[in-house]
Amino acid sequence: MVRLALRSDSPPDLLGRLGATAGALLAAGVVTLLGGLLFLAPTMAEIVLLFGINAILVIGFQVFVGNTGIVSFGHVAFMAVGAYAGGIAAMPVLDKEVVLPDLPGALAGTEVGFLPALLVGGAAAALLALLTGPALMRLSGAAASIATLGLLIIVSNVLAQATPLTRGPQSLFGVPENTTFIGVYASLAVVVALSAWFKWSGAGLRARAVRDQPAAAEAAGVSVLRSRLWAFVLSAFITGVAGALYAQLLTAFSPGSFYIPQLVLVIAMAIVGGVGGISGALLGTAVITVINEVLRKVESGVPIAGVEIHAPSGISFAALGVALILMLRWRPSGLLGASEVQVETRAPAPAEAGPARVAGAAVPPVATDRPPAEATVEE
Amino acid sequence: MTALVQHVLDALSVGSTYALLALGLTLVFSVMNLINFAYGLLLVWGGYAACVLVDAGLPFALVVPLCVLFVTALSVVMGRVAFRPFIGAPQITLLITSFGVLLITQYIAILVFGEKPRVLNTPDFLTGVIAAGGLRVPVLQVVTIASGALVVAAFYGLLHRTPFGAHLRAAAESPETARLMGIRPDRVLMIAFAISGAIAGVVGLLWFAKVGAVTPRSDMEPTLKAFIAIVLGGLGRTSGAMLGGLALGGIEVTMNVVLPSGAITYAQAIVFAVVIALLVLRPGGLSGARTEAA
Repeated sequence: MVRLALRSDSPPDLLGRLGATAGALLAAGVVTLLGGLLFLAPTMAEIVLLFGINAILVIGFQVFVGNTGIVSFGHVAFMAVGAYAGGIAAMPVLDKEVVLPDLPGALAGTEVGFLPALLVGGAAAALLALLTGPALMRLSGAAASIATLGLLIIVSNVLAQATPLTRGPQSLFGVPENTTFIGVYASLAVVVALSAWFKWSGAGLRARAVRDQPAAAEAAGVSVLRSRLWAFVLSAFITGVAGALYAQLLTAFSPGSFYIPQLVLVIAMAIVGGVGGISGALLGTAVITVINEVLRKVESGVPIAGVEIHAPSGISFAALGVALILMLRWRPSGLLGASEVQVETRAPAPAEAGPARVAGAAVPPVATDRPPAEATVEE
Repeated sequence: MTALVQHVLDALSVGSTYALLALGLTLVFSVMNLINFAYGLLLVWGGYAACVLVDAGLPFALVVPLCVLFVTALSVVMGRVAFRPFIGAPQITLLITSFGVLLITQYIAILVFGEKPRVLNTPDFLTGVIAAGGLRVPVLQVVTIASGALVVAAFYGLLHRTPFGAHLRAAAESPETARLMGIRPDRVLMIAFAISGAIAGVVGLLWFAKVGAVTPRSDMEPTLKAFIAIVLGGLGRTSGAMLGGLALGGIEVTMNVVLPSGAITYAQAIVFAVVIALLVLRPGGLSGARTEAA
């Protein structure tokens, strides 16, 4: 019997792993379907694309934060690196001569298509993670969060000063507008499958074992550093892809586009949805996107009961602040917590206590003593 | 020789600002594990208060205590309304909560004062320069170092010579035992927020007297410096906070002196890289405090 379930523990075997991946893909499919319907309305087109990119970004963030329990403030840096690397790679050679005349020869002479540009963006971000990870992943808790914030500041500073490569603090323009609906949502599907597969892989289980019981995991032979590093590199890759998509949607951006405001957005989306799971990341992105768009309408003025109401600009950030505090106060593990949409091929066996189940009995990083949700929906 | 003395004075004055910032932040951290993203905003509000009071024609000698008082009250309100419900929550929850508090209080500042920078008119004597021998020392630098020393002395007096201080230290060291001894955790927390706010008031005045103008977004730089200082010194120790602040000041001034002109634009990135490198060598910070406890 095939059915859908919302549960937070791990599937014990290959079949379960496939089911979990299929469930996450199904959730992404629902999001894509809704996005596709909205996309038909011309005023919504850009919002739908930005939503898809933000969803990829939040999933990238979630892959690291959900699996390791370290809240990263540095992921926007990976987005920036992905945007610049992917954007410059995709820029036509002739435009490069005008926009970036001092680009080194090998870079100036090549231009690539949409898909390779995404891979270049992801790879550049993953490389940065691979280089900085061995240092950053040694730290835990708040010290690690602050060190990742340091990474964001380093990257922002370097991008703003490396004028031959990035035009410095001025905005980089001339990136071709390659990002399409298919491009964004196909990437989303790939990214969702990748992160669901990682979540239930040995590497993912080890990362969560270190998150929940660092001493026990280490005693059992799990390397704290290495298990975190894989999650870090994969999440940087995903975030970098989101950056490259972003670059090819906006076509012009500056280092300032990837700083604290973008960080606030990602954190709010991840926390509201539940940082423990992929389904939560999708839900949180949707909720915050809707709140943001509504408030943006209010900022530009809406008639309420015959009176034109204008909210001063910046209200969306204040609203994000309120949403964060209320969420952490009343539902600290987010709307969905660590639960995932999963496809099951047989009834769940709650009494089973294999090693995979122990590691997967997820205590979300922003934890309460609330038991994980186990609502089951018959199909 | 005079150049060296000059650099040491620079480092001391920058470092003592950072040390004070870190001290205020650490104090609350030691009681409730909160690393407060909104801390820099207390400075901003202090800066705005000073602008308003100076423009209203009050003498500077009156502006200073009023500002410190205002920021102290603000800090207590912030702690009471926003953070008290979260006593006992995990560190990361607290960190992100403070992020939310930052967004809200910043928005209020934008509503009240607008985005444009507001100039802080300091009295003339603060902008003067003392020339002695080959040295030229800005008065503000002397005032900064002196206030730093004074605040630290007052802080230690309070912490080690008064019952409040004893309660605070007890609650920081062993919250459970302190509770059993009849020390109310929420009261201790409010005292910590008050002291931390008073320190923020002093630093806010020094900071914006140096920068010259306040904007609603000037909070990020002091907050970041304080964060780096406490992590560098070792989370949760007052001595570590001060050590970290002074060390950060030292690193910054050294970078400005030794870096070639081509690399000076990367100074911020290099400072952060140095700090991260130091943390890799000593994950517990310079004072070797408890950081590993995630």
